[in-house]
Amino acid sequence: MSAPATESSAAVAERRDPHAVLEVVDVSVRFGGINALTDVRLSARDGQITGLIGPNGAGKTTLFNVITGLQEPTNGRVYIADGDVSGLPPYKRARLGVARTFQRLEVFGSLSVFENVLAAAEFRHSWSDDDTPPRQVAAEIVDRVGLSTVSEERVDALPTGLARLVELGRSLATRPRLLLLDEVGSGLNHDETAALGDLMVDLVRDGTAILLVEHDVELVMRVCDRIFVLDFGQIIASGTPAQIQKNPAVQAAYLGADTHAAEGEPA
Amino acid sequence: MSIFLSYTVVGIVAGCVYALIATGLVVTYNTTGIFNFAHGAIAMLSAYSFWQLWQGWHLNAVLSLVIVLLGLAPAFGLVVERVLMRPIRGAPIDLTLVVTLGLLLFLVGVANLKWNPNQVRNLPAFFNGSGFRLGYVLVTYHEVAAVVATIAIAIGLRLLFNRTRTGVAMRAVVDNADLLAMAGGRPVRVQQLAWALSCSLAAIAGILLAPIARLDILLLTLLVVDGYAAAVIGRLRSLPLAVGGAMAIGLGQHYLGGYLTSGFLSRIQYVIPMIVLFFVLILLPQDRLKSASFAGAVAPRVAGFKSSAVWALVLVAATALLSLNLSGPNLRTAASGFILALVLLSLMLLTGYGGMVSICQMTFVGLGAVVMGHVASGGSLLGVAAAVAACGAAGFILALPTLKMRGLYLGLATFAFAAVMDQAFFTQVFGTGGSLAISRPRIPGIPTQSDQAFLILCSVVFAVAAVVVLAVRRSSFGRRLVAVNDSPAACATLGVNVNVTKLVVFTASAALCGLAGALYGGVTHQVGAFDFAALLSLVVLLLARVGGINTATGVLLGAFTFALFPIFVPHLPSFLQSQFLLTGLAAVSVGRDPNGIGGRIADAAAKLREMFGFSPKPAFTSTGTVTGTAAAVFLEEEGRLVSAGH
Ligand SMILES: Nc1ncnc2c1ncn2[C@@H]1O[C@H](COP(=O)(O)OP(=O)(O)OP(=O)(O)O)[C@@H](O)[C@H]1O
Ligand SMILES: [Mg+2]
Repeated sequence: MSAPATESSAAVAERRDPHAVLEVVDVSVRFGGINALTDVRLSARDGQITGLIGPNGAGKTTLFNVITGLQEPTNGRVYIADGDVSGLPPYKRARLGVARTFQRLEVFGSLSVFENVLAAAEFRHSWSDDDTPPRQVAAEIVDRVGLSTVSEERVDALPTGLARLVELGRSLATRPRLLLLDEVGSGLNHDETAALGDLMVDLVRDGTAILLVEHDVELVMRVCDRIFVLDFGQIIASGTPAQIQKNPAVQAAYLGADTHAAEGEPA
Repeated sequence: MSIFLSYTVVGIVAGCVYALIATGLVVTYNTTGIFNFAHGAIAMLSAYSFWQLWQGWHLNAVLSLVIVLLGLAPAFGLVVERVLMRPIRGAPIDLTLVVTLGLLLFLVGVANLKWNPNQVRNLPAFFNGSGFRLGYVLVTYHEVAAVVATIAIAIGLRLLFNRTRTGVAMRAVVDNADLLAMAGGRPVRVQQLAWALSCSLAAIAGILLAPIARLDILLLTLLVVDGYAAAVIGRLRSLPLAVGGAMAIGLGQHYLGGYLTSGFLSRIQYVIPMIVLFFVLILLPQDRLKSASFAGAVAPRVAGFKSSAVWALVLVAATALLSLNLSGPNLRTAASGFILALVLLSLMLLTGYGGMVSICQMTFVGLGAVVMGHVASGGSLLGVAAAVAACGAAGFILALPTLKMRGLYLGLATFAFAAVMDQAFFTQVFGTGGSLAISRPRIPGIPTQSDQAFLILCSVVFAVAAVVVLAVRRSSFGRRLVAVNDSPAACATLGVNVNVTKLVVFTASAALCGLAGALYGGVTHQVGAFDFAALLSLVVLLLARVGGINTATGVLLGAFTFALFPIFVPHLPSFLQSQFLLTGLAAVSVGRDPNGIGGRIADAAAKLREMFGFSPKPAFTSTGTVTGTAAAVFLEEEGRLVSAGH
């Protein structure tokens, strides 16, 4: 938006997927000596679930931070819808329709489940021209993510799995166009994970784009339309679930993928 | 030229003292992650102990020096480490802030008891103040000693930190939050050494400073606090930077002071360190959006409108009833209790809900009082409105540069603001030791002028303000406030402009102080500079924390315990007859509980409700809770020393 015309047109030329709701172009992040991300290119489309997988420490969360604006990249640009958001603060990106959950929980611990979602709905109410009463939005969403039985509980007293669902509900309350889910399924049991998968499929049917970080390979393979594989900060493969499963580089990086899945969350 | 030289000499000496102070702070901060706000009070206490041994009990000067530097000070450091600091290792910054601020107040209280502040004491310079001439400038051997001591200590510390195992183990871990938490796992011996060393360094600074300045409890404490600016220049970690900063401040202060001799500007000299502190804090890179705040982790339930309104009515009615039987002084004391409660209420909004710490609330109160006194010749409702507006504006302006700060840095910045206002504003307006006459607000048709009517007015104002603040907390803005406090990062990614929210609440909180200020002068019809001293803002913060920073009950409790203090005094054992001492003691004990006494009352009330079958709690069968898992995630990641997920 504020980028000089020449620079942005040059950058636009770099885009390969102009129809994508999210496009990350050549993003690099360095922490001191660590290259957390190196020239990462990735895109996500409306109505699709895009998977982002990779071993622990691959840089998935860091990439989410870059997309949402919490982490300034050393290099590279981020496009949301048609605009270059690289210089925008997090809250402005959120208003463009980006929402996320956090792997390390960032719930509003002193509020109840309902209030967590309500707060998010109120936030949206304050910056959008949608006039649906926030309480109504919140009630619907609490129900939809399956938290109605605990809706009056304070969130810091909840089991982690449920708290993750609170984060999911909260992000849904902003009616995002692009939803970034960071291991939202960890801490859930088998049935709950299945329900979560169905919910995601539901959401993309309504047109939402989801970028999903998940250690549960089975879930990823089931729901994703496309998958990007990150290893040591670099995209080493992308394609359909079937292509990814056959990809030798992925298999090499993922040797022992099961142990990673097990490490994702302490038992 | 000789004038320049003489400024250079005093500047260097001041710089050396600042350097010693900063060094002591950096040592404990690096090793334990605790910023010791009480450092100034430790230095002051050491200087007094030295005076006691040498001048009071006529011991040999060198022997006294040895006893203080190598005996009392390090022993005190060990006690502090054991009793106060060890239990809070790795604790959130707000707790360490409360404990060290409490310690500061406690030590000031102890000194006030032991050494009556109204009696003049004199700590002579070393070598009887003799010296030699450098050109036309007399350089005392005391000053030489200060410089030599500083150089020797700087070299010694450098060797310690770079050449010895213990020293290396003491070096910076605070850069990394995870490493910092691991500081809790450091060998106790290393931490003990850090505290002992730091206290000795404070003692040297205090003993060198006292003869140059004056042996005065508050003055000395605050002069040492000036040295914190140098530590902050070193980002609380780098000794060389801190020492360099100390020299720059010392020299700058004396050159400016020397050449700016005209009235107002000459006063600026004394606040230069605090001005530097304020601006360095603004320039320092801050932590990114992080979830660490000053408010309690688990805040008590918020009272509903009905119950808060009923309690407010009961409070006013009870006050009205009681006021029939109270004498004039007691009526005024009670009124001041409500006004103080109003100030604490402003902290409940700002700190309890918003998670922002402020050590300058009394400065806003003072500003409000001054405006009240000057508008429409005092005592008008217009004055009240002007006081509220002026303080709101001042809060807004102060908030702008400090928005990105949290925790310790925000505490330091607001304290610096308060200290600067002390010197540069209040002493100007009131004149040193002077006062300003202020009337009680006149409200057409309602009596407010008698002591009794004024008390009732104050109780009504507090009751209404409390109901409003509680209503704000339950409103959508209140949820936003709590949400921003619980997780600024999540709020930002949900479209909240976190800075605007903070700006609003800072402004509102200052405006509330303005309201308190407008009433404040009415208690005794006059105010002076000491009423609003920076130290009192600190007292107010600790009172709020002790009473409970997120309940109206706690606020009232904290305020009245303090305000009614003069009435209890005759009944207390003599060693407790100091407001500072008691507040400090309460802060380091009760204040550790983030919700304070009010929180415990709320807990008890909740238990009662549960017992009688209101609000049943569904029990969870699942094992891990959010807090539990956060710890587990942390442990998992501690192994590879990363902090991911923010
Ligand atoms: N704030 C930070 N400071 C320094 N290094 C960081 C920071 N955040 C992440 N890193 C490093 O960047 C790398 C990528 O971390 P990131 O959390 O993005 O990985 P991840 O793919 O999300 O891993 P996981 O599966 O464990 O969640 C890691 O090596 C991590 O140590
Ligand atoms: Mg991650």
